[in-house]
Amino acid sequence: MIGTLLIISFIIFILYKQINLSNINFEYVKNELSDADISKPKFAINNETKKIYISAGEGNFLNKDEVLLKNNVKFKSSDFSIETDKVVFNRNKQTAQSKTKSLFKSKNAIIFSNGFDIQDNGNKIVFVGNSNIILK
Amino acid sequence: MKFNFIFLIILLFSITLYGRELGETEITTEDGIEVFQNEKFYLLKKNVKIESDDFSLNANEVKINFDKSLYDIIELAAKGEVDFVSHVFEIKGKSKILNLKVKTEQLKVEGIGSELITKDVKMLSDGFIEINNLNGDFNLNGPNSKLLNENILIVAESIDGIFTDFPDNKEIKFLEVYDKNLSYVKNKDTEMYAKKINFDNDNSIIELIDKVTIIRNEEKITGDYGTLDTTNNSYKIKSNNQGKVKVIIQNNE
Repeated sequence: MIGTLLIISFIIFILYKQINLSNINFEYVKNELSDADISKPKFAINNETKKIYISAGEGNFLNKDEVLLKNNVKFKSSDFSIETDKVVFNRNKQTAQSKTKSLFKSKNAIIFSNGFDIQDNGNKIVFVGNSNIILK
Repeated sequence: MKFNFIFLIILLFSITLYGRELGETEITTEDGIEVFQNEKFYLLKKNVKIESDDFSLNANEVKINFDKSLYDIIELAAKGEVDFVSHVFEIKGKSKILNLKVKTEQLKVEGIGSELITKDVKMLSDGFIEINNLNGDFNLNGPNSKLLNENILIVAESIDGIFTDFPDNKEIKFLEVYDKNLSYVKNKDTEMYAKKINFDNDNSIIELIDKVTIIRNEEKITGDYGTLDTTNNSYKIKSNNQGKVKVIIQNNE
């Protein structure tokens, strides 16, 4: 009897989560409909030791230097990658800031955070807010 | 029964999705992480919790130096209200500052109220306590430094020594104790005071140097130099100045 109740509770929890996911998808569709200045933009941050490639679904110019990158934004270098939904990239300063949930992956390490700030040509990455690292 | 089994499967699946897996280390912070790639370190800020199979730590701020990548930890420095448990070192501790050199297995705690506790030995200091897990060297330095186990209590400004076969067997092999005022050692039924106290497990002799006092039962003997043989618990005291050795025998009856 208790087992049945727990299973029902679990199913309700899963359905609730799915409804939430549906909302997220809806927002995503709405964003897709907005006017984009650039489709599938690609940039790079260069420093002395490595190059970080940036790609996204779309981008909008905020001003001369700053571009708002949206939809599946990815940063990729030879030893790590970061995925998130929205990033403001400054082409002149070679910096990037995100306030959306982010996932950093490198060899045997994963970082979850509420955003990030890439500074000093990619040498310094600040993951903001409640953050979680898993080291394997 | 069948439902319970299904529930157990679902529960285990949920734990796998959201929890740390065996062999992994999970670190959580409240105020983010700063990764410095060229300098090869990262800073963990505010209410940091580290949890792994062998080690757990809570601190306000942690700096981790790495070698190849973030997982390849060389050194950990924690500050704030640090408390930790190391199953590898078989040790737990509290301090304001902790420094752990992973490859050389050196551990140092620093600040007022520092303590390191193994299953046999308790070490306390308001200065610092250092232990080398590979060779058993230890060092306590600063005010209120104390080392105690079931056989001995040592109180001094500086306590240097070596444990035999640390961490499995924490018997003291060698000891150098110094306090500019007076060091204090209590062994079974004997209390010893001197500026400098040495112990060598090979010859089982405790050597007392400068301003020596030995108190046992109702006997109190003072002098400039003394030895206590721990095998038969006998002691000798001498003075630089002949006739200076003073014996006080108290009768408490």
